[in-house]
This record gives sequence, C-alpha cells and structure tokens, in this order.
Amino acid sequence: MKAWLHSVRVLIWKDLVQEWRSRDILTSMLAFAVLSLFIFNYALELSPINRADIAPGIVWVVMVFAGTLGLNRSFTAEQDQGCFEGLIMAVPDLSAIYFAKLLTNLLMMVFLAVLVIPIYSVLYNQSLFNWAFFGVLALGSWGYSAAGTLIASMTVQTRMRDLLLPVLLFPLLLPVNMAVVKSCGVLLGSVAGQDINGWLNLLLVYDVIVTMLSIMVFEYVIQE
Amino acid sequence: MTLQARQISKAYGAQRVLDKLSLSVDAGELVCLLGANGAGKTTLIRTLSGLQKPDSGEVLWGSKSEGIGALKLRRSIGLILHQPFLYEHLTGFENLRFYSRLYETGLGDADLRKMLGRVGLGSARPISVRGYSRGMKQRLTIARALLCDPHILLFDEPYTGLDQQGCGMLNQLVLEESARNKLVLLTTHELSYIRQVATRFDVLHRGKIAASIPNAGISLDALQEQYSAVVSAGKTTRKEQA
Repeated sequence: MKAWLHSVRVLIWKDLVQEWRSRDILTSMLAFAVLSLFIFNYALELSPINRADIAPGIVWVVMVFAGTLGLNRSFTAEQDQGCFEGLIMAVPDLSAIYFAKLLTNLLMMVFLAVLVIPIYSVLYNQSLFNWAFFGVLALGSWGYSAAGTLIASMTVQTRMRDLLLPVLLFPLLLPVNMAVVKSCGVLLGSVAGQDINGWLNLLLVYDVIVTMLSIMVFEYVIQE
Repeated sequence: MTLQARQISKAYGAQRVLDKLSLSVDAGELVCLLGANGAGKTTLIRTLSGLQKPDSGEVLWGSKSEGIGALKLRRSIGLILHQPFLYEHLTGFENLRFYSRLYETGLGDADLRKMLGRVGLGSARPISVRGYSRGMKQRLTIARALLCDPHILLFDEPYTGLDQQGCGMLNQLVLEESARNKLVLLTTHELSYIRQVATRFDVLHRGKIAASIPNAGISLDALQEQYSAVVSAGKTTRKEQA
C-alpha cells in the first residue's frame, strides 16, 4: 500500500509539472469553457427570473464538455513518446496509474469550476458563490473523472479517440448529470419540493462504485 | 537464471510473425538478434518483456516457472524500444528522477547525475527533453533503461541515433552489465559494432530462430556471409514450397 501511494504521488507530481510547463490541458479547457459561457449568454438571453432555473445546467454542461478535451489530452501525452509502456514496466501496481490520472483529472475539473463560477456570476449577473454548490460540482467532477479516466485509457489507443471518448462516456454519465443538476437546482432554489439528500446519495454511490470498478478493470484494459 | 521463450506464436490478423519460436538466453550471455525488416524482432522483444502476450506458448524467467508478465519480474527488465519513454517537458535529469522514484531505486541526485555522466550527458544543459537531439534522447533512454539495475536487458535497435562515440559507450555499458551476470538480448543491424561484444548471434527468419552463430572471434565478412546464407536459404525453401 505504501509503495502504491508513493507511485500515485510521483505520477501526480509528473503530470502537474508537465501541465505547468506545457499548459496543454488547462488552456484548451479554459478557452472552451469561457467561449461556451459567452455563447450561452447571448443565445439564451435569460430573464433574471429564469436564470436560477438554468444555471446548474449551463455550468455543468460547460464543465463536462470542456473536461472532455482535458480527458483526451491527459493520456495523449503518455501515448506520444511511448511513456505508457514505460509506466507499465515501472509501477508496482498498474492501478496506481489509473488512480493518479483520476486525481489529476479531478484537480483540473475543480480548477475549472473555480474559474467557471466567477465568470458565470459576472456574465449572467447571478451569484453562484456558495460552498455547497461548489461541493456538489466537486462530487460530480469525481464521478466524471472516475468514468472518464477509464474510458480515455481505452480510447487513447484508437485512431478515432476524439470521437469515441464522448460517445462512450456521455451515456455512462447520465446518473451524474442528473444528480449534479438536480442537487444544484435545489441549492439555488429553482427546484422545489425535492430532497437533495437522495441526489447526493446517488452521486456518492456512483463515485465510489465507478472508482472501485475502474481500479479493478484498469489492468485488463491496459493489457488487452 | 535463464530467460526462455517456449514455442511462442504471435500473429497480427492473418500475418503470423512468430511461429512456435523457442529461445533460451542465460545470465551473462550477450545475444544479438538479427533479422530482416519485418522479421518480428520488435514483436519478440515486446513479448519477452511482458508488454505483449503471445497467442500461444509461454515466456519464463529463471527456475521459478514464473510468467514474465508478472509485475514484479517486469520491474527487473531494462527495456529499450523504438520510442524513448521520455517526457518532453521534463529535463533529462527530471526524467531519470521520475523513473528512479517509480522504481524506488533509492538513488540520490548525485547518483542520477553520475548516471547521466555514464551515458555522456553529464555536461548537457538542463533543458527539457524536447530540445534534445535524437542521439541525446537515445543516450538518456539507455540511462533510463539501466536505472533499476535490471537483471534482464532487452534492447531493440539501441544504436539508433548514436554517433560513433555513443556506439562505443553503449558497447562498454552492455559489456559491463554482462560481466555482472546480467542477461542481455538486443536487436540491431549495426553488425560492425555488435560483433565486438556479442557472445552469440541468433537469426530470426520466418518466425523462428533459423540459426544460432557463436561469436568465436568471427570476422564481419564471415558473419555477414553466414547471415545472408540463412536468410537466402529460407527464401529458396519458400520458393520451392510455392
């Protein structure tokens, strides 16, 4: 376990240093997110009354689409110089590669949320500065990264990875999407008469189950 | 300790690359695998490293009858393939430190610098690998492969991109490792260099080891002649069969 945690830490350090120097993932994610927020702003022309209804949907959709760009690139760096094979030869347990990638992708999503929330608040003149709202986005990002990292590790080995990733991933994200949007809706007061606990439980169970399943199957995914 | 391939076969679609191939390399041996382009040398190296499973047959290491695919054994292999396994945005030193930490070698910064010096990169500027030449990347790849003090060295075309001095350095390194009872199997077309250090030449042809030529002071001409004879004999047989 100690060796496993050590590998995870070393792999995350490497991913973060690489990203800090190349800024490949964050630049593409942020550019896409900001542009999408602008487009939604002009396309929907929301009145102050229905802004709260639609805010959770817009924020989460922007994060999911922008995150897909990041997921695609997170494994491309390993694939380019054959580094994936170098990692397979070096780590004591292959699941460490998955878990490190999951945490790196989660960090990217959380960072994205930190930037998207103020930009949305300014553009739409609606404050989303709410710790609970941010917490739900973080929980959703965990489930998204858990499923996305596994699917990205499969699709990166194919020629049509840019297309395959969303096609395979988005259906799997249905429970996360519903739970995040509904929970945030309850928090912003746009969804009346619903209990947030049910949605949060769904989100937590999804996160834990997908993470555990992915750790179990990752070795087979890589080797096959 | 012995690395053994027993009756391994591997096909890509309809094309059979390895055909019930058997091979045995003992510790301390330095075996060169020869073969034409597309003969299956890289496939064999990948299969022996455990990165790729054979369709049939097995690869064994030592007397434990343990599959080479086992993760612990894989970590005792120094592997060089066509791609360098290096991160372009890290410096050469950072790449070594990263792999050293993954392998848990316990090497300090001074040891890693010594390692860089061993492959002739001791005085290289601390720039990211993106700015390295092909030869510098290959030198760093060699250092990366030796980092974990491997029992088995599997090098696919290790002379690629190296200058004359680099080829001499590589010969010196593999000789040193072989003298430490390490098992070395490498593929190359650079017969003039490998002839100076190899203990044996195995010729891979039509998916099998078609000949094994011991290096008892063999001359370059004699080696080339014997290699050509094996390959052309295989072609003749194929024509006769057709």
